[in-house]
Amino acid sequence: MLLAVLIANSEGNILLERFNGVPGEERLHWRSFLVKLGADNLRGVKSEELLVACHKSVYIVYTVLGHVSIYLVGKDEYDELALSEAIFVITSAIKDVCGKPPTERLFLDKYGRICLCLDEIVWKGLLENTDKDRIKRLIRLKPPTEF
Amino acid sequence: MAQYVKKDDDRDEEEYSPFLGIEKGAVLQEARVFNDPQLDSRRCSQVITKLLYLLNQGETFTKVEATEVFFSVTKLFQAKDIGLRRMVYLIIKELSPSSDEVIIVTSSLMKDMNSKTDVYRANAIRVLCRITDGTLLTQIERYLKQAIVDKNPVVASAALVSGIHLLQTNPEIVKRWSNEVQEAVQSRAALVQFHALALLHQIRQNDRLAVSKLVTSLTRGTVRSPLAQCLLIRYTSQVIRESSMNNQSGERPFYDYLEGCLRHKAEMVIFEAARAITELNGVTSRELTPAITVLQLFLSSSKPVLRFAAVRTLNKVAMTHPMAVTNCNIDMESLISDQNRSIATLAITTLLKTGNESGVDRLMKQITNFMSDIADEFKIVVVDAIRSLCLKFPLKYRSLMNFLSNILREEGGFEYKKAIVDSIVILIRDIPDAKESGLLHLCEFIEDCEFTYLSTQILHFLGLEGPKTSDPSKYIRYIYNRVILENATVRASAVSTLAKFGAMVDSLKPRIFVLLRRCLYDNDDEVRDRATLYLNTLGGDGSVVETDKDVKDFLFGSLDIPLANLETSLKNYEPTEEPFDISSVPKEVKSQPLAEKKSAGKKPTALGAPPPAPTSTVDAYERLLSSIPEFSTFGPLFKSSAPVELTEAETEYAVNVVKHIFDKHVVFQYNCTNTIPEQLLENVVVVVDASEAEEFAEVATKPLKSLPYDTPGQTFVAFEKPEGVPAVGRFSNVLKFLVKEVDPSTGEAEEDGVEDEYQLEDSEIVAADYMLKVGVSNFRNAWESLGPDFERVDEYGLGPRESLSEAVNAVINLLGMQPCEGTEVVAANSRSHTCLLSGVYIGNVKVLVRLSFGVDSSKEVAMKLAVRSEDESVSDAIHEVVAN
Repeated sequence: MLLAVLIANSEGNILLERFNGVPGEERLHWRSFLVKLGADNLRGVKSEELLVACHKSVYIVYTVLGHVSIYLVGKDEYDELALSEAIFVITSAIKDVCGKPPTERLFLDKYGRICLCLDEIVWKGLLENTDKDRIKRLIRLKPPTEF
Repeated sequence: MAQYVKKDDDRDEEEYSPFLGIEKGAVLQEARVFNDPQLDSRRCSQVITKLLYLLNQGETFTKVEATEVFFSVTKLFQAKDIGLRRMVYLIIKELSPSSDEVIIVTSSLMKDMNSKTDVYRANAIRVLCRITDGTLLTQIERYLKQAIVDKNPVVASAALVSGIHLLQTNPEIVKRWSNEVQEAVQSRAALVQFHALALLHQIRQNDRLAVSKLVTSLTRGTVRSPLAQCLLIRYTSQVIRESSMNNQSGERPFYDYLEGCLRHKAEMVIFEAARAITELNGVTSRELTPAITVLQLFLSSSKPVLRFAAVRTLNKVAMTHPMAVTNCNIDMESLISDQNRSIATLAITTLLKTGNESGVDRLMKQITNFMSDIADEFKIVVVDAIRSLCLKFPLKYRSLMNFLSNILREEGGFEYKKAIVDSIVILIRDIPDAKESGLLHLCEFIEDCEFTYLSTQILHFLGLEGPKTSDPSKYIRYIYNRVILENATVRASAVSTLAKFGAMVDSLKPRIFVLLRRCLYDNDDEVRDRATLYLNTLGGDGSVVETDKDVKDFLFGSLDIPLANLETSLKNYEPTEEPFDISSVPKEVKSQPLAEKKSAGKKPTALGAPPPAPTSTVDAYERLLSSIPEFSTFGPLFKSSAPVELTEAETEYAVNVVKHIFDKHVVFQYNCTNTIPEQLLENVVVVVDASEAEEFAEVATKPLKSLPYDTPGQTFVAFEKPEGVPAVGRFSNVLKFLVKEVDPSTGEAEEDGVEDEYQLEDSEIVAADYMLKVGVSNFRNAWESLGPDFERVDEYGLGPRESLSEAVNAVINLLGMQPCEGTEVVAANSRSHTCLLSGVYIGNVKVLVRLSFGVDSSKEVAMKLAVRSEDESVSDAIHEVVAN
């Protein structure tokens, strides 16, 4: 299960968070844990360089994209490698929507589109689509180009 | 969307969020725009985005608010704008309307589900499955089955992923789709195959045969997506795990498939296969090698995730097969400076497990630089690893102990400091040479320790160990400083410690009295009381002193009563004229320590509440046995075994046996638990048949009067055996008892009972029972100091064995001795091995053993056994054990 997708700005304020199968009372804990993890480790990291950690039995893969940081939390079959696959899809989709690695402002400007992309990529904790061109078409309700 | 940005030319517009000052109430007001007869699609999309923003920030809507928004949103199905329709699908899922509201959109969604536009179908399926309940599901089931085999991969994936979610809530319906799912597994679209495989496995996960068939067919066929391939590898290792239980001989099934995956082009698949191989039950070094090789390559990958995954897996392998990982040590050393601290920590802890003695100093130098910039939680992991390393290579205690004392002085939280102190204490206990320096490090630490708990624990430990050192007086300054400088709890502890020095070291006594008298004026009651009490007991106030033994028993002895029993008695005590009498507290141990599995490694406990493992368990047993009159004449207890289970798990009665070895006697302690609430057992005994243990004669039995439900109790049987002879034998056991029915509502037992019996597994007394595992810190010195006078050397053929490592372990277990200096671990692929063992044989005779093994190409193992001991007959006895 992909337990959480969390996107924050460079100050650690949450821009977008989607939890799957995480009880409400634990979300706050995860939010602050991830933001702290980012604050400790993401400074000076190159855009899109992946960082990885594990906490108890869950894995965390996170990165910086432009001015936003992206965190993915997974367990069981969503281990560090599956998460890096998922985060790669997410970063490419966001870059595609924004046209470049986004500033916070650009990210918020394209917020609706980004939500749609995430909806196509992760659905209730399962990875659904991984091809950015297909995702680009799907969010405009266009069928995939080839099948 | 720029329209809701405040324009302010003076400032950089980057600072402004389009959602600046967003407020739930206002957005809900704005949502009324959905009801406009003339829909403005652009504006509607913007409002939905704002709603999504609120929801994604963790904001929640009340039932009324959500319902209102949901009803308005449904109106948007009329709009023709495609972008808006896509947003509508998303917001409906996010609002997750309740089952009574869903009805309003179902018809629109059903229409979309049959739409000619594929993408409408896919989205409608996802939304319907998200908001649907069982009854609606049966209505749309037909469409979903069609969708699973739809030629458009988007539609098929939507239906399959929906199936995975629905399986949690409506398993019986989803299970009916397995034919369609099976067909989808063969799909040419990579992701459809991935989703179908996941769903099919979930549908069939309880049917072992079906999973095995699935794996068999797919491992032969083609799997397109790397993600699906990873799933298949996981399912395959599950099948291997389950089948290896039945099939111990021959080749491991599917191993070739896993090995083949190591050459896959996707890194994800290679890694999954490597990990699956390392996790195989009883994996051999031949099987491990190719997996370790690819993991080693990943260690130098430019991708941090791969490095992390590889080092994490190797770290696990190092716990069971340290020698297999040593080839990667050089690559791992370069990871110590990895920017990602998780990777660096894993690399260090792996190196600490696999490194050899000569590399310890270099490794410690590297770690020192690294420690300052990692978090406490990582530091604790490193400290634990260093402790294990030190126990493995006791000769290196000096540098490791220095390292621990250095990090003890640096900044750190309680858990971290506690881990370090615990480690030092364990090293002091296990490595006699490390004692004095270790104690001094602890003393220096308490001079500036902010944690009361740690100070008191260290003071307690100092009181036990300090007086036994060569110069006890040097510790007094540190202890008395606590009385001057610390809070009341620490002061009280320090007073107790001073008293212990006074009791043990006569030369210090007068000076200790001076210090204790000063404590009589402390402003804390407890400190004053303790000082008065100890002065009184030790005779410092000029009174008649109790005998030396009494004083020491009082100061160093334990309470002698199980704390649980004392607690119960105190709770039951009603305040009267009659004072509480501690001798009225029952001494029988009620609850038993959990039986240790033979293979489970003992994790040493340190300062914490439960006292150190081996000696104290023996102490507790010794007290228990000496309190039973029948056994009180047996003399000192030599050894108590770990409990051995005599029943299967989860049977009506759980029984394990602890073997107590005395010079002329053996006592079997049967720990029994009754797991049936409706039964009370009385007069419980174990009838032992010793016909296969000729040298043993039964001398006493102590039955257990009553064994109520879930309250463990013990019964004992004692045997006499020839003095000093390591007699062995096999004993068959039958549990006999009177069983009485218990009324579960009242908990009362019936008056009459029925005699019954219960067959238990056999127990054995083996040669290893006469040997205590006692390590030596420096085997070579110990070997030289024992001298060659009573050395016995001989050679033995052990016949064909599975592996060298298996043969080494078999001999270690046979002798029951402590392996020294990590020599129990056999290097992978090696043809010869030397193992060093140490122990104390019954009669307190020190024994050292040097085993040299060699294996030839047909796996025949030969062994040279050299024994040195303090007694000729014992050296011979060890050879006899092996010869038989």
